[in-house]
Amino acid sequence: MANVFASIADWVNDRAPNLAPTYRKHMTEYYAPKNFNLWYYFGSLALLVLVNQIVTGIFLTMNYDPSAAGAFDSVQYIMRDVEWGWLIRYMHTTGASLFFVVIYMHMFRGIMYGSYKKPRELVWLLGMLIFLVLMAEAFMGYVLPWGNMSFWGAKVIVSLFGTIPVIGKDLVEWIMGDFLPADATLNRFFALHVIALPLVLLLLVVLHLAALHEVGSNNPDGVDIKHGPKGNRWDATKPADGIPFHPYYTVKDLVGVGLFLAIAAFIIFFQPTLGGWFLEHDNSIAANNLVTPAQIKPVWYFTAFYAIVRMIPSALGTAVWGVLGMFGSIALLFALPWIDVGKVRSIRYRGTGYKVALTLFVLAFLGLVMIGTDYTDVLFPKLFGADIDMTAWDNAFGRLMTLIYFGFFVFLWLYTHLGWEKTKPVPERVTTHD
Amino acid sequence: MIKRYISTIALALGLLLGTSAVMADEGPELPSAATNIRDTASLQRGAHLFFNYCVGCHSLKYERYERIADDLGLTQADVMNNLNFTDAKFGDTVISHMPPDDAQKFFGKAPPDLSLEVSAKGADWVFAYLNSFYLDPKSPIGWNNTILPNAAMPFPLWELQGEQTAVMKVGKPGDDAQIEKLTLSHPGRLTPEQYQQATRDLTNFLEYVSEPAALERRHYGIWVVLFLLAFTFLAYLLKKEYWKDVH
Amino acid sequence: MANEVVDQGRRRFLTATTAVVGGVGVVAAVVPFIKSWEPSARAKAAGAPVTQSLKKVEPGQQLIVAWRSLPVFIVNRTPTQLAALPKQDPRLVDPTSTGSSVDQQPKYAQNGTRSIKPEWLVMVGICTHLGCVPDFVGEMKPEPFDPNWQGGYYCPCHHSRYDMAGRVYQGVPAPKNMVIPPYQYLDDSTIQIGVDAQGAA
Repeated sequence: MANVFASIADWVNDRAPNLAPTYRKHMTEYYAPKNFNLWYYFGSLALLVLVNQIVTGIFLTMNYDPSAAGAFDSVQYIMRDVEWGWLIRYMHTTGASLFFVVIYMHMFRGIMYGSYKKPRELVWLLGMLIFLVLMAEAFMGYVLPWGNMSFWGAKVIVSLFGTIPVIGKDLVEWIMGDFLPADATLNRFFALHVIALPLVLLLLVVLHLAALHEVGSNNPDGVDIKHGPKGNRWDATKPADGIPFHPYYTVKDLVGVGLFLAIAAFIIFFQPTLGGWFLEHDNSIAANNLVTPAQIKPVWYFTAFYAIVRMIPSALGTAVWGVLGMFGSIALLFALPWIDVGKVRSIRYRGTGYKVALTLFVLAFLGLVMIGTDYTDVLFPKLFGADIDMTAWDNAFGRLMTLIYFGFFVFLWLYTHLGWEKTKPVPERVTTHD
Repeated sequence: MIKRYISTIALALGLLLGTSAVMADEGPELPSAATNIRDTASLQRGAHLFFNYCVGCHSLKYERYERIADDLGLTQADVMNNLNFTDAKFGDTVISHMPPDDAQKFFGKAPPDLSLEVSAKGADWVFAYLNSFYLDPKSPIGWNNTILPNAAMPFPLWELQGEQTAVMKVGKPGDDAQIEKLTLSHPGRLTPEQYQQATRDLTNFLEYVSEPAALERRHYGIWVVLFLLAFTFLAYLLKKEYWKDVH
Repeated sequence: MANEVVDQGRRRFLTATTAVVGGVGVVAAVVPFIKSWEPSARAKAAGAPVTQSLKKVEPGQQLIVAWRSLPVFIVNRTPTQLAALPKQDPRLVDPTSTGSSVDQQPKYAQNGTRSIKPEWLVMVGICTHLGCVPDFVGEMKPEPFDPNWQGGYYCPCHHSRYDMAGRVYQGVPAPKNMVIPPYQYLDDSTIQIGVDAQGAA
């Protein structure tokens, strides 16, 4: 039996001799730093969730009806009439939200440890492109059930493009294919969500990993293991502080996968709507262009950026500033490698100013999420009394958070360009704590 | 030592706080409906109430009679004889016998389908709604509701609850009249406690209809989560064994 | 530096155990996806058994009823038609439905009239050649395709012929007798197509 496999392997090797070396290059002979910590699970988890979305998505497509007349009913058909349809649907919706939890953690790791710095700027840019495409993919996916929040969310987000001077109105009609989100819109979003964007996403993920493997992984100390001593117990020519990705990180990631799946399963089987955060209540009502939901807000993972739009007021007769602010908040992330030119990668050895700034940045992001989800409408009356002027408080808090968010980038530019940062000495070798 | 783990601790705390915030209540305080879809007897009573008092106007267009039989432990005869008063077949969905055009004419608005009402509004809201009808001479149909003011819905359960009237707040002249509370001015066939239980049963049934899968997903969930935790532990042992190589 | 001794046995054991448990998990995860292809509740409802009253079908008449999107022929056979059935045996491919047509009917229809009650034929009206719906030619008079026609079915597509019990004649393209669906009598004048006395369809 083993002979059969061996001879098949030889047959393939004769005809594609680079397959085996490629596998070795990316798995058993890809030497990653040995000091990866908790923050390093999220890359493989992102890949896991991507596979989940594709597989569950394919099976949903088998029963989903992408017409405005039939979409909502078809989702109920899946939930009730299709054997195990409810499970496939919940795996898809839970996966969508968890995708963003994982991606935000993954991005934060990159920021914390300076993984966007030279020579990994390309890895970072490709990752940011993945983030952009993922946001488009998630937005379109949310429209597909054609619930009332799907419809109104689509209307509001597409109308943001209407704020662009001169071309705005035509652009909005072009995107929708109609005068309001309608059958045409749903059909094209379906095509983009199911085929076009997943293909783009897969391509970008492959490029992202390829770019990473070209330069090698960063680590929590920000120390370049390729510049350190050579020779480890597996290969005398490879970095001393490197370990083969397979089997060591495959086996470690397996633990992460197990725990992550357990958490995901808990949500799927016990709290699939997660109190309305993963599946919104208003989307249990079919799309109705005459009745607006009480609070139109995007799903939680977009709310920070949506809050920025809301917080920047109209001026000079146009509301485009808010939209520019939103795009700017993401564009600045793209530009991080050129904003932060500090030589020290990891937060562990950076100046106190940086640590404070990053903490404030995270708090500001969370604050923006609170604004965007209208959670402040619940929290502030509890904290400050029931008869406060909610709009005034919201604006004050939200604008402060927006300022801190943008301020992080401004500060970082000044901090590293003007030499204000006082770093700590970076160790020669990675530090581990086993 | 703590310094190393600051980011990890912050992450854990953040996730914990986030999760508790997630489950926090939003919206006005509503009495708890205290529904329990695992109480099959309650679901059966609720189904009975729905088909006697509600299906005249309201459909459950995504719920099949056969599914109700299977999930509530009823036989085909039970359902077809005691719940189905139309010519619908056992495998068909629950459609109200009121023609939608007539409904539009009578009430100004077609009575909405209730398949997903509890998903959309919450069990507490539906329960409160069913308990908040009161006589309103100013309303064209004679009834109003404090939870959904001016809904064009007559009160189908008045025989059971009786009639409630609104007690207005004592205010200054010129102020808008505000309702302080509702009192039972005319008792019905059920005592207030019995009526509360009946509306709880009805809400329970509607909660089940909103998501029939909820009956089975928790059973599978226990096994899946336990299996995954066991697998994680095994994977952890495997990881520790291999990582003995790494120093 | 450190302990160089690797317990390969323990490694193999742990790897194998984790792989097996993981494999079980993967198989369990695949099951719902495979089962999602089974007929949904909507499909099953559309394919539910059909109840039909026989009261208005006169002797010699055929009624066509839809079941699972198939035409089901219900015929009230006359005594003359029934008497002619045994005489067709030598001209048929499988007169007793025990040869090539053994799977074309439930056990209770594996008889000379291919039915529960002799006079009532309940049969899926799909030609066993390539699936056309055959014409009902009940009158026993000479036909262009058979000067000695004793009543039955004639398929317009490729000219296959069947007798009044749906049994296929020799020398025609169709290979088997037409299918008898599961059915049962709810009372003397009502049948239910799609489920027999034993239960499932």
